[in-house]
Parts: sequence; C-alpha cells; structure tokens
Amino acid sequence: MKRKAFLIDTTRCTACRSCQVACKQWNKLEAEATVNRGSYENPPDLTPQLYNQIHFIEKEHGDDFNDFRWLFINRRCMHCADAGCMKVCPAEGALYRTKEGMVVYDQDKCIGCHYCVNACPFDVPRFDTQQKVTKCHGCMDRVQNGLLPACVKACPTNTLQFGDRDQLIAEAKAEGKKLYGENDLGGLGVLYVLDDKPGTYKLPENPAIPASILFWKDVVKPLGIFGFWGVVGAAALHYVTVGPKKIEDSSEQPDNGGES
Amino acid sequence: MISNNYIDRFNTFDRILHWTVALSFFLLFLSGVGLFANAFFGFFEMFGGPQQAIMVHKWTGVVFFVGSIILFLSHAGDTCRFDADDIRWIAKLGGYLSRKHQDIPQSKFNAGQKLFGIFAIIATLVMGITGWIIWDPTAYSRELTQLSLMLHGLFFTLFMIAMVVHIYLATIANPGTIEGMLWGQVRKSWAKAHAIKWYQKMLKS
Repeated sequence: MKRKAFLIDTTRCTACRSCQVACKQWNKLEAEATVNRGSYENPPDLTPQLYNQIHFIEKEHGDDFNDFRWLFINRRCMHCADAGCMKVCPAEGALYRTKEGMVVYDQDKCIGCHYCVNACPFDVPRFDTQQKVTKCHGCMDRVQNGLLPACVKACPTNTLQFGDRDQLIAEAKAEGKKLYGENDLGGLGVLYVLDDKPGTYKLPENPAIPASILFWKDVVKPLGIFGFWGVVGAAALHYVTVGPKKIEDSSEQPDNGGES
Repeated sequence: MISNNYIDRFNTFDRILHWTVALSFFLLFLSGVGLFANAFFGFFEMFGGPQQAIMVHKWTGVVFFVGSIILFLSHAGDTCRFDADDIRWIAKLGGYLSRKHQDIPQSKFNAGQKLFGIFAIIATLVMGITGWIIWDPTAYSRELTQLSLMLHGLFFTLFMIAMVVHIYLATIANPGTIEGMLWGQVRKSWAKAHAIKWYQKMLKS
C-alpha cells in the first residue's frame, strides 16, 4: 500500500478548531477545564484528551502596532518514517506502524515507561490517567474503512488534506509550495506548508531524534549485549589458557591431618 | 582471629552487607534488563508483568544505592589508598596474563579490587542519580531525562561488564577468595599469596 500522509497548508487555516472538536468527538475524548490566558488558543498544548491542537502565534514586526501577524498551525503526531518513539519502546507491539505508514499504538501492550515521551523529536505523546500512551493515530479506524480522518473531514477550508503521500507532495509542488517534512526523519507523515520559518511555528529547523536517545539505542544497547557476551567469553578463554591463580604454598598444614 | 589454617577477613556486617548489595544487583538486573533492550522483554514475566517489574526495579534501586554507599564507606580506608606496589600491580595487570606467580605485595585489597571498589561507587552514584531523574519520566526537563536514560543504560553496561570480571576473579579464577565473603575467613596460604601486607599487619595486631 502507498504511504498515506496529512498535508497541512497553514496559509489556509482560519483557526476555527473544527479539527480539534471533530477529533475529540470521534475519539470520545473528555472536555477539559482550562483558563483564559488572553489568547484564543485553547487548550495551550496537546494533552491526553487532545490529539491535535491549533497553536496560535501572534507575531509583531517592529514598532508599528498595525504590522501584526496571526499564524495558526495544527499540531499533532508527525507519523515519522524514522520514529523516535518506536525506536525506544521496549514493549513489542505497543507502538507500531500500520500499512498506511501511520504510527499507532495498542494501549493493552503499553507498559507505561514514558520512553516515547522523551524520545519524540516533537514532544507529542502524552500519557493518560491509566499511564498508557495516547496521541494522534491518524484515525486508522476510519481510514481503513474508507473514510477520511475526523479532523480532515471536518476542516472547512481544506487546510487539512489526507491521501497518498507522493501525490500530496506532487500536487503541492506543482502549485509551487514549499514543504516542511518531506525528507526529515525519513520523511514525515505530516507535511506542512508554512507561511514563515519553521522556528516561528515552534517546529525544529532540522528535526531529529535527540542525540542522547540515538546514542543510547544505537551505541549503548549493542555495546551492552556484545560487551556482556564478550567479557563472559574473555573470562572463559582466560580460564582455559592462563588458568586460575593456584596457591602453591606447601607450608600450610592440610585439614586432613598432614598427609602429602 | 587467626587459627592454624585460617584468618578472619570479613566480619558478619561486611558479609551481610555485601550479599544484600549483591542480591539487589541481580534483582535490578533481572527487573531492568527488559527496559534496556526489547529482546529481553520476557524477563518481566519473572515479576508478574512489566509494571510490577518496574516497581521492583525502583525500590530495589533504593536498597542497592544505600547499601552500595555503606559498603564503599566501610572499606574506603582500604580501597582509596594506592602505593607504589599498586602501581606496579596495575602495570603488570596483576599478573593475570601469565601463569608465572607475580610477587607484588598487596594490602587487604589488591589494586584491581581497589579500582573495582572505586568504579562501583562512581557507577552507583550515576545509576542512583539518573534513576532518581527517570523515576518519574516527566518530572524533569526532556533534555535531562534523555541524558539520564542514556547514562543509566551506559553505566548499566559498564557495571555489568565489571561485575562479570568481579565474579570471575573472586570465584574460579582465584580459588579460596570467595570463602572470605561466604563465612568470613580465608586460608593463611591464600592471605600470604594474595595479600601479604595485610597478612603481616594482622599477625602483628
């Protein structure tokens, strides 16, 4: 099957937050009490009850009060091809990839270690009150039954699109749009058309799995496994070549009454 | 106490403390190795499941951390003092690469044992501090937690390798050594061969 992806054209977003609401409705997520922080952005971040969120950016240029920009971006799991969460997950099958290329999860298999939370380049996974992983799963239950993801279905401005990744990329490029995430982390499952630098949207310029996480899994882990068997092998080799340090002191009186 | 053939090496407190720390090390290994690499996920079953194993791992970690620090402090006077003989011992790798007997007089602990003791306390502190940080994996900043996860794995690896060496050298590689830690006494011939400076000091006192 061809890899699916979301294409999010932030230049079309009006921040109506239909995507947030539709996602909550389809996934039966609880409403959350929040406080007024002087922004339309609400809630302020992804939560265990919020799998996608419209992040609001208020950007002023210089001193002119009228020179003001209001930017919106739909944040969610990026469904990375090279996914940090899957790399660190110790529980087989707790995080897995569907044939559509989406990174999804099985809460029954999640052991609650939170490794995915710390390995994610985008700080996406959240843990619910049962200490189980939650995040956007690309509405695989809908997609595999021929429907669009709930957020895409609800989007009135065509900001959110979902389809074959290659086709979405080709179409966006044909329209002369610059894409974020085409090749990062093996290609993201969420592609953005941005109206400013990625940093403005709090997106990393060059997203990557954190260096210490990579070192842990790519260097320390094999070192541990080979190191253990290596040192056991070395000890065995030492024993049969050099051998033990025998004590050859004949001055000792043996316990058995002085024979020898 | 010095009898005809035996000499006291480790008192009851030393021995119980050592085996408490040793037991908790193995419990930590068995309960944590499933988190180190998913190939060892099956080890969790020993504890009735991953969540239970993680709980055992956390609280055993407290026992190990405290026990290992007391163990270090109670022998710090012997482990942290190096003399010229120790340097020679290290230069010749304790004579472990040859069958010929190396006559480098050693104190209660040889230079290798001293280095192991110092390594063990450093590793204990790293494991304890990073373990504290990842106890609740969202309590500290992501960067600090990521670094702690890596260091916890790295020092587990180093500690495990050092432990294989420690167990090998204290058992089959040096017959008679483990007796001191099992019931407290070693043979005089062992003491003369392995720790002559300590043996002479014991004779005088």
